[in-house]
Amino acid sequence: MAETTPNEIGLIDFAVREYRSLWGDAWRRLISSNTARLGLAIVVLFVLSAVLAHFFWEYDPRTDLDYSLKLKPPNLRPTEEIQSIHPFGTDKLGRDTFRRVVHGGWNSLRVGVVAVGISLTIGGLLGLLAGFYENMPLGRTGRAVLFGVVGLCLGSLSAWIAGQPFQALLFCALGVAAVFLENFLAGKPIRVLLFAGVGLLLGGGLALLVSPYTAATCGILGLFIGWMVALPLGGPLVSNIIMRAMDIILAFPAYLLAIAIVAFLGPGLDKAMIAIGFVGIPLYARLVRSTVLSVIQKEYVLAAQSVGSGHARILFRHIVPNTLSSVIVQATMGLASAIIWAGALGFLGLGAIPPEPEWGAMLGDSYRFLTSGAWWAVLFPGLAIMLSVLGFNLLGDGLRDALDPRLTH
Amino acid sequence: MTRYLIRRIISVIPTLLGVTFVIFMFLRLIPGDPAIAMLGEHAAQENVERIREQLGLNRPLFLDKEALQQGDVSGFFDSQYLRFLGRLLQGDLGNSIHRRIPIADQLKLRFPATVELALLSMLIAIFVGVPVGIASAARRNSLLDSISMVGSLIGVSMPIFWLGLMEIMLFAVILQWFPSGGRLHHAIEVRAVTNLVLIDSIIAGNGEALVDALKHLALPALALATIPTAIIARMTRSSMLDVLQEDYIRTAHAKGLQERVVLFRHALKNAFLPIVTIIGLQSGSLLAGAVLTETIFAWPGIGKWVYDAILGRDYPVVQGGTLLITFIIVFINLLVDLSYVFLDPRIHYE
Repeated sequence: MAETTPNEIGLIDFAVREYRSLWGDAWRRLISSNTARLGLAIVVLFVLSAVLAHFFWEYDPRTDLDYSLKLKPPNLRPTEEIQSIHPFGTDKLGRDTFRRVVHGGWNSLRVGVVAVGISLTIGGLLGLLAGFYENMPLGRTGRAVLFGVVGLCLGSLSAWIAGQPFQALLFCALGVAAVFLENFLAGKPIRVLLFAGVGLLLGGGLALLVSPYTAATCGILGLFIGWMVALPLGGPLVSNIIMRAMDIILAFPAYLLAIAIVAFLGPGLDKAMIAIGFVGIPLYARLVRSTVLSVIQKEYVLAAQSVGSGHARILFRHIVPNTLSSVIVQATMGLASAIIWAGALGFLGLGAIPPEPEWGAMLGDSYRFLTSGAWWAVLFPGLAIMLSVLGFNLLGDGLRDALDPRLTH
Repeated sequence: MTRYLIRRIISVIPTLLGVTFVIFMFLRLIPGDPAIAMLGEHAAQENVERIREQLGLNRPLFLDKEALQQGDVSGFFDSQYLRFLGRLLQGDLGNSIHRRIPIADQLKLRFPATVELALLSMLIAIFVGVPVGIASAARRNSLLDSISMVGSLIGVSMPIFWLGLMEIMLFAVILQWFPSGGRLHHAIEVRAVTNLVLIDSIIAGNGEALVDALKHLALPALALATIPTAIIARMTRSSMLDVLQEDYIRTAHAKGLQERVVLFRHALKNAFLPIVTIIGLQSGSLLAGAVLTETIFAWPGIGKWVYDAILGRDYPVVQGGTLLITFIIVFINLLVDLSYVFLDPRIHYE
């Protein structure tokens, strides 16, 4: 057979498939959808205008004030009365609404991004842990830490009642010891009795120095702690503790919780970010947990385990990349709702501190003048919120279709 | 199944305890002494002490270890938190700091207003959202489908406080069809029986009051219904599309059943589980979303009351209102979970 030259290879290139990456494919699917393109365009428009305005269009809200221009309707051409152009009209202090809407975008989008960042980081990590350890046994070190913390937390209650701080450390040590003596009488009821007895002696014996009643209470507590650390609890306990805490946050109506947190921390953009971010934590925790639960059953995780990969490696090399697509979709949608919430807090006077421009705060500033006909000061900031939120929602919808082609609707 | 029901009902208790704990801590962590808040900055020290004694503020937060050392077991548990729980069990939420009236009584007056608004919004959302979702799914990729899906996406993206303001501008200021706020015209009086104005005016046979109450309800209910309507429509559509791909739907069509029968008897019945879930979840956020809507429309419900209390730093009111709304949401979620048992016999519960 004759040697093939590079030229001839070029002739048969129909057999060689061009290299396409996973993300490249997703991108191609994304921009082939009309609605996703529209969403992307809106998002880019808002982000660009906010960023450009922030860095290149000087604006000092503290000096922006002109009573002669108070509540003027939009004009696109200078008139005798108003020399300057105000496409969106002016507000109660004669400030140009257009300018403030554009600059307000920086603040509103920033709140959204930071808030989603907070809930994504904390919620995502908690969800990873909860999902991973729900079915995975904890390593010995992990269990030692877990039982140590359990002993420390429950033990500090007993320590507080007796007024003996070192009790907490002793219970912590008891928890760690229970892990290292895990094979000692394993599976026999006597093991539980033994540890419970040690707990009783630890709590009750030491507290006898204070008073008999205190000793009785601490003894019961110690008994309980000893019983707990003797049980073969592990991963599911971690998952349970995390998810129950999430359930409690979720039980609160999100709006009220965010309002209450800001009321507690005091108004301000940074406080609003914290409040909105905190409220979002359980959403990401639940999402990531459920994704991890489905990913962890895949063969490649088993394969990674069987070649001896450590937990951290399995988590970050194999599981995290496979949860990314649902997290990206949720984060895009989360940005949309964070912007609405930032607006709501600003509207209620709990977000940006005046005269800082922010869409919600601008609405709250101007809505009293609605009855006197000044619709423009209310229409445009709200329209900005709605459009940017719509943009992120459209993009999120498109991303979901692009990242998970198995979904058909 | 009975075991599942019992377990699910019991599982509510730790959540409720957690909620009361968080709300209790929230109130205690806020800087400032409630006794001074009641009496003012310049109150005499002995009066402050007396009020603190009355309110139990001189007790320890959770447990009294000194009492235990002296052998006083009941004193050990006599703490602010446990007293708070005890009062809660008796339906006593304490007094408003500013108005010195029992919060529970106020809640009884204001809660019906919120319920009326939320219930009407939910009805609008269900009776618009579900049919729109079914129609979109049945005529997939038609013009109707595109319009309703774009519409619902806009609905989901709507900041309801802004929508409310726009409604006021259009319908109350420019067209003057509807009033811009309040529950009833001040000249109209209806004897309060249930405190639900609609029901009360029907009981009293007062047609004028009924029409006026409906007019007052229209704008806030419409604003509050926007997001749930959009979400329910989207959920109904996607759930129906899932079911419509099933084999038995093809069989039903092949048997020559009418389209209507296939859609409603065969498909909707099985698509209903996620719809019920979303309706339940949305009812919860409706109650909470009422804070904004009630503020804009001066609606005398719980939301506006709690918001005013936050601004006025009347924390017992914040506590009472938040507790009530949160308990109701926990309860609704429980009902949704329990309803699965009856809605979907395929799910097996150990």
